[in-house]
Amino acid sequence: MTKYAMIIDLNRCVGCGGCDIACKSENNVPDNFHWADHEVETYGKFPDVKYRHIPKLCNHCDNAPCVRVCPTKAMHKKDDGITMHDPKKCIGCKSCVLACPYEAVMYNDKVPFKQWNNKSELIKGGTASPKELKDKSKVPFPNYNPERSLTSMGVREKGVVEKCTFCDHRVGQNKLPFCVESCPASARIFGDIKDVTSQVSKLKGKYELKVRKLEKGTRPNVFYIREYYRV
Amino acid sequence: MKLKRRDFMKVISVAGVGAGLLPKDYLFSSPTLSVPNGMKGKWMSTVCQGCTTWCPAQAYVINGRVIKVRGNPHSKANHGKVCPKAHLAIQQMYDPDRIKVPLKRTNPKKGRNEDPKFIPISWDEAINTIADKMLELRKREVPERFAVLRGRYSYMRDVLYGAVPKILGSPNGISHSAICAEAEKFASFYTEGYWDYNDYDLEHTKYVLSWGADPLSSNRMIPHAISIWGKVRDQAKIAVVDPRLSSTAAKADHWLPIVPGQDGALALAIAYTILTEGLWSKEFVGVFKDGKNLFVKDREIDETQFEEKHTHGVIKWWNLDLKNKTPEWAEKKCGISADLIKKIAIDFALAAPRAISWVSPGASMQVRGGYGAMAAHALNGLVGSIDNKGGVVQKKSPPVNKTPKYSKYQDELAKKHSKLKKIDQRGSKAFPAMKKKPGKGVVTNNVADAILESKPYPLEMAIGYWNNFAYSCSGAERWERALTKLPFFVHITTNAAEMTQFADIVLPAAFHMFEKWSFVKQKQNLHGYAGITQKIVEPFWDVKMDETEIPYMIAKKLADKGFSNLLDYYKNEFKDPETNKVPETEKEFALSALKFYTHPLWNGSAASKGDKITSWKEFQKLGVWNTKRYTYKTKWDHFKTETKKFEFYSETLKKNLNLHAEKHSTTVDDILKTCKYTSFGELAFIPHYEEPYRWGDEKEFPLIFSEHRSRLNREGRSQNTSWYYAHKNCDPGDENWDDVIKLHPKTAKVHNLKNGDKVRVTSPTGSLECTLKEWEGIRPGVAIKCFGQGHWAYGSLASANYKKKIPRGGSNNHILPADYERLSGSTARHGGVTRVKIEKIV
Repeated sequence: MTKYAMIIDLNRCVGCGGCDIACKSENNVPDNFHWADHEVETYGKFPDVKYRHIPKLCNHCDNAPCVRVCPTKAMHKKDDGITMHDPKKCIGCKSCVLACPYEAVMYNDKVPFKQWNNKSELIKGGTASPKELKDKSKVPFPNYNPERSLTSMGVREKGVVEKCTFCDHRVGQNKLPFCVESCPASARIFGDIKDVTSQVSKLKGKYELKVRKLEKGTRPNVFYIREYYRV
Repeated sequence: MKLKRRDFMKVISVAGVGAGLLPKDYLFSSPTLSVPNGMKGKWMSTVCQGCTTWCPAQAYVINGRVIKVRGNPHSKANHGKVCPKAHLAIQQMYDPDRIKVPLKRTNPKKGRNEDPKFIPISWDEAINTIADKMLELRKREVPERFAVLRGRYSYMRDVLYGAVPKILGSPNGISHSAICAEAEKFASFYTEGYWDYNDYDLEHTKYVLSWGADPLSSNRMIPHAISIWGKVRDQAKIAVVDPRLSSTAAKADHWLPIVPGQDGALALAIAYTILTEGLWSKEFVGVFKDGKNLFVKDREIDETQFEEKHTHGVIKWWNLDLKNKTPEWAEKKCGISADLIKKIAIDFALAAPRAISWVSPGASMQVRGGYGAMAAHALNGLVGSIDNKGGVVQKKSPPVNKTPKYSKYQDELAKKHSKLKKIDQRGSKAFPAMKKKPGKGVVTNNVADAILESKPYPLEMAIGYWNNFAYSCSGAERWERALTKLPFFVHITTNAAEMTQFADIVLPAAFHMFEKWSFVKQKQNLHGYAGITQKIVEPFWDVKMDETEIPYMIAKKLADKGFSNLLDYYKNEFKDPETNKVPETEKEFALSALKFYTHPLWNGSAASKGDKITSWKEFQKLGVWNTKRYTYKTKWDHFKTETKKFEFYSETLKKNLNLHAEKHSTTVDDILKTCKYTSFGELAFIPHYEEPYRWGDEKEFPLIFSEHRSRLNREGRSQNTSWYYAHKNCDPGDENWDDVIKLHPKTAKVHNLKNGDKVRVTSPTGSLECTLKEWEGIRPGVAIKCFGQGHWAYGSLASANYKKKIPRGGSNNHILPADYERLSGSTARHGGVTRVKIEKIV
């Protein structure tokens, strides 16, 4: 049985945020939260200062608290290990938001992309309004990706949660998650961790694996190898 | 060092899997999802011009809309990768604040506080007005009072910036280059005779010594640097000289938090150490005849005792300056410990020739930055890494067609007046602007003063394109006054920028990456390349291409009014090379001009120099033509210097400085004094120490100001996109949705400032407002802020209030004075060129 996992090589990662932004374009994610995100940390005292940038996303945990607490099974595990959310079943109770120790589930407390209904123009008759541009593009917003709607809602609604799906709509087409494809440092490696010949399995054998918040017992499937700064 | 680690990651042990298995890329079982026809997209090739890396890229297009971007997999330069900037281009194109139709000003009064009261007009009315103004200047026989002010550009640039002024009769095609980094080119030109930016062989290097360069974030090879940095870390040592812990410094072995502007001291001490330790390249520089190292502190050397090989003047350099430039001397100037300087120098030299000394604008764009940059670049000469494997190399250029000559299309008036002095005062005593010869470089930022002084003559009309000098030039306020004075200004732009506020006519530009035909030439990873930007989607608005369609429309209108020279030039010289068809419309012209320039790349004739592409259709699909890889050591003894050698004692600089002095009937010393330098005599021709020039008295302005670039800056043009602000903390030390000035916590305390304070930053020439950030990754005593925010126009997000002209954050150009590294003409904005004070806004 396939089980998808991601390894993030922090030695290769340069903290550029390309993954975070690419994810926005692939998954129609609004501005106020990120499916692909990062934390930054600075250690030490001048001039011996170290800094690191840690990409983070849904860990697609084996023992996913968000799934456990969901009263409607909107949040569920797929056979391939992906933690998936069905916005149609979501009642917006936010139990998953509270349960996730990684802050990886986000709640839409307002209508996503609502700003595209704004009719004001910067220069009357000289510039467009967001609404005019939206209407011209004939989609919820001009760079809306319809492929996202293959397996879920293209744009989620107010009152439901959303999160990273490991780009299940791309994986289903035999493509890599877009953050993986977009990483200019090739710091993200994705594949079937049950397949001993996959890159993720190979790296798993080669390097010490780290996960976020091991003590929570969630058994994440996003692993980190090596260190961001020189140790 | 003890790290305080948060409970973020803990190690789990996982049993290794069997070794020896073949690696396999991700592979899934057969696809389970199919994409319905109406949803199917296509990857189409273009180029990202968010910075000057100019990456071959691709856009995913569904039903005429761009959804996402990626690197072009056919590019040997960026390995099919793009940096985060490229993604922001989507929001830039789909910016609701883009100008959608031509506009004209109805309020004749100009000034920042005047509402231009723009109203929409037709393209015909707009072009008609422009053509009338141009012909009026010719009628009065003062066509030189016309200028094209160029900002960012493609290599279609000459169609507008070259041909229009020249054929009209003006010398004034003025580029933005000097606000970019001409002082960096000064370093390479006066040592290795190369007026351009270098390329770096990161793949084979064993040491990277960066002088303010932050290649993981900004110019000029970002995706290549990002993609190979993991390998560089595995095989090389990395040292980054920067008062700020930059994104590259965070991924280095050594962060050298230098006092801004003191790079020269550090570079000279490294050179001193390399020589006294006997670690210079014997192969490249040469040997002492008796085999003994005579580089001993304070001791002069007889030149005849050294057998110099591929370089010129190493002993002169030692005798004139280096002999007492010890690490202990440098420590007091630059704030880096002597022990660390020695270690860096020795490790760098031991790694040589696979060692890179990487000069950047940060270490050169200082009022007195020219010689320090030379010193840093000369380290590559000392260790023989110039034009060598794992070192610093020049470029390979794609063979494209040259711009056809204008002379046949210039009448007597045009011939005479296009030879007049240029408006930027280049070549005047105070502006040697020595490109390859004195007075050949541009002094972009001085155009504002030239307009204000009407010197050498009044400017009456300008067309600006893809530029925003009222925002992007230091001393920006001068541009506001100059543009207020300029009688007629046309701005070709995507957004209502700061400069647009002073325009009489505004022409909406096609967005370069997805709506425009053009090409660029660049290099990364030891490959030169030419990439094409393509019109891959139909614009939603009535926009035209700045460098081709608009000048063609102007040419047509001029012809209608009896002056057909420009149109004749376009029609005769830019025929479609496939069909030989004469372009009859602006649309046809845009494409045929691009095909004309790039023809050698896709007719198969360039195959010996790189990729073999045999049709326009194939070129369009691939989007890029790559040169073969750079060949090492072909320049040794063939450098384009006066001596053909790598010059430590620059005969090339000596010649040009003397030429400039003779032109103004004075001495080289007088020229240097006029240019604010402090060392004279023979020191003028070698890399030597200069105390950095700083505006402002230390008592009144206690902090040295330094600025840096953002990895999300598309120069100054991504500040109306939400993704810019939502990810801004990807720049180390910065905050999302804010514009911060960063201080070391101890410095903040001394000045009674704390994290989150709203502050006013004041220099001797201006002030800005932003938020204070205490951060450990800043040299104490230095205040550091990212360039890019602080727009008071440009859009509803870029500014805090567009109607009221209130900036979001602060623009560094309001505190940076307009000053220059005058020998190159470069704007001086780095190396702590000004001091500032910071006060809490109560």
